[in-house]
Amino acid sequence: MTLTAEGPIRPNRPRTRPLTYAVAASLVAGTTWAAVKVGFDPSTFWKVWSNPLWEKFWPVPWDWVFDGRNVIRPLIETFQIAIVSTVIGCGLALPISFAMSSLTTPNRPTYLVSRAVMNVVRAVPDLFWAKLLVTAIGIGAFAGSWALSVFSLAVMVKLFSETVDGADPRPLEAARSAGGRHAPVVRTGVLPSVFPAYVAYALYVFELNIRASIVLGLVGAGGIGRVIEAQRQFFRFDRVLGILMIIFVAVWVIEHVSVALRKRLT
Amino acid sequence: MVIQLEKVSVTYPGGVEALRGVDLTVDKGEFVVIVGLSGAGKSTLLRVLNGLVPATSGSVVVDGTEVVGASAATLRRVRSRIGMIFQTFNLVYRTTVINNVLMGRLSETPAWRSTLGLWPAPEREIAMQALERVGIVEKAYVRASDLSGGQQQRVGIARALAQEPSLMLADEPVAALDPVTSRQVMGDLQRINRELGITTLVNLHFLDLAREYGRRLIGLRDGLVIFDGDIGDVDDAIFRDIYGRDITAEDLLAVGGEPNPPTAGSPDA
Repeated sequence: MTLTAEGPIRPNRPRTRPLTYAVAASLVAGTTWAAVKVGFDPSTFWKVWSNPLWEKFWPVPWDWVFDGRNVIRPLIETFQIAIVSTVIGCGLALPISFAMSSLTTPNRPTYLVSRAVMNVVRAVPDLFWAKLLVTAIGIGAFAGSWALSVFSLAVMVKLFSETVDGADPRPLEAARSAGGRHAPVVRTGVLPSVFPAYVAYALYVFELNIRASIVLGLVGAGGIGRVIEAQRQFFRFDRVLGILMIIFVAVWVIEHVSVALRKRLT
Repeated sequence: MVIQLEKVSVTYPGGVEALRGVDLTVDKGEFVVIVGLSGAGKSTLLRVLNGLVPATSGSVVVDGTEVVGASAATLRRVRSRIGMIFQTFNLVYRTTVINNVLMGRLSETPAWRSTLGLWPAPEREIAMQALERVGIVEKAYVRASDLSGGQQQRVGIARALAQEPSLMLADEPVAALDPVTSRQVMGDLQRINRELGITTLVNLHFLDLAREYGRRLIGLRDGLVIFDGDIGDVDDAIFRDIYGRDITAEDLLAVGGEPNPPTAGSPDA
């Protein structure tokens, strides 16, 4: 069986457009320019490793690390901060996200005010919130919880309000036509369809909070971060390495559990 | 008299005139079929009755209450007496059948209870009875997404019935269903109209279904009522007026052979 040459003619392969080359060239030029300006020197990457600092990381003093008061208790405090702030932040995010969506907002003023407030909250970096609250209410887990609650709220509203915007408006019409008030209409008409996404996001925010609460500890907001910062100041990098190993295991476990749960939800 | 429309016009933002001076009176217990092309104003006509679409001008009186310009509280009270059934069912698919039907009890349940999902036992009982009436009570705790299209529309009907309405609005209730299921759902609506005396307005696309189930037919074209009368009087000329062309096979739902008797109801039950 042979094919005849008749029929449509094959098109020529299009030439690579000059614009493609121009974009590639400007990317290279831009990166080089930025690297030169910040004094980037590839050899420092190797020099870092010959620094005597690294010898101080070993051996890890395991008896110090496993003494409950030194690492485990502050780590539990980190988890407590993460749990409390996830619950507060995500709890507040639920009504605010509904208020912020044109689909579910009760009225125009609520819509505008909630959007304006959330834009301000999001514009302030979480580390700045932590610094601000440590200054305002003192060093410790309480300030950390507050800062992370605000952070959770900002992240959760960003993620969840988009889900609400994309929700099916048709059951909402049905609930409205049954003569319900606004809150129950949204609760029965929209919440069941977006709730699995809400729980999945809340778990994700919890993961973020575990990592963020470690970082916040560095600025005095309680938890394991504070211990890392204290040991670093004493140049006890062997202890720091031990702490990091424990954190690695804990975060690894939490993320895997969370990912597994989220997969089942969506 | 349950419904009285006087010179009702609806102009959507953007300038589309969906209804242009509609006058209409519907008495208690009537079963009215509304036909017309897409865009003729059928959906809008149903939605001005419960205020989901506000009338731009004119007067809409339902059960003695003026709907045009009514307060939010008045609108809720009017809506609570009007059940609505949708072409696309409009269920919440990620929750159970009973939770969908309970939405019909929103107006009678304190807001905090329905918001928390703590439905009182009498309300749950009414919802269960509504499911029994459409013959799918055994699916009460099944997720709505796990039902077939015909079953989902029955949940939609049960949700409307749970409102214990005096008026039922059905917006193309069978457009998304196959011919056999269409007849079952139409049979359900007819049975509800006869047994419970609920005034029923149904938008339909198929003319033979309209003939089979309707008594009074309203023909809409470009937002105007161009026929209103006994369905037996509808001849080809009137049809041409409504649709602007002759009857084609696409306007008929007919499945081979004799159509099912309308009172066949729900064979699943």
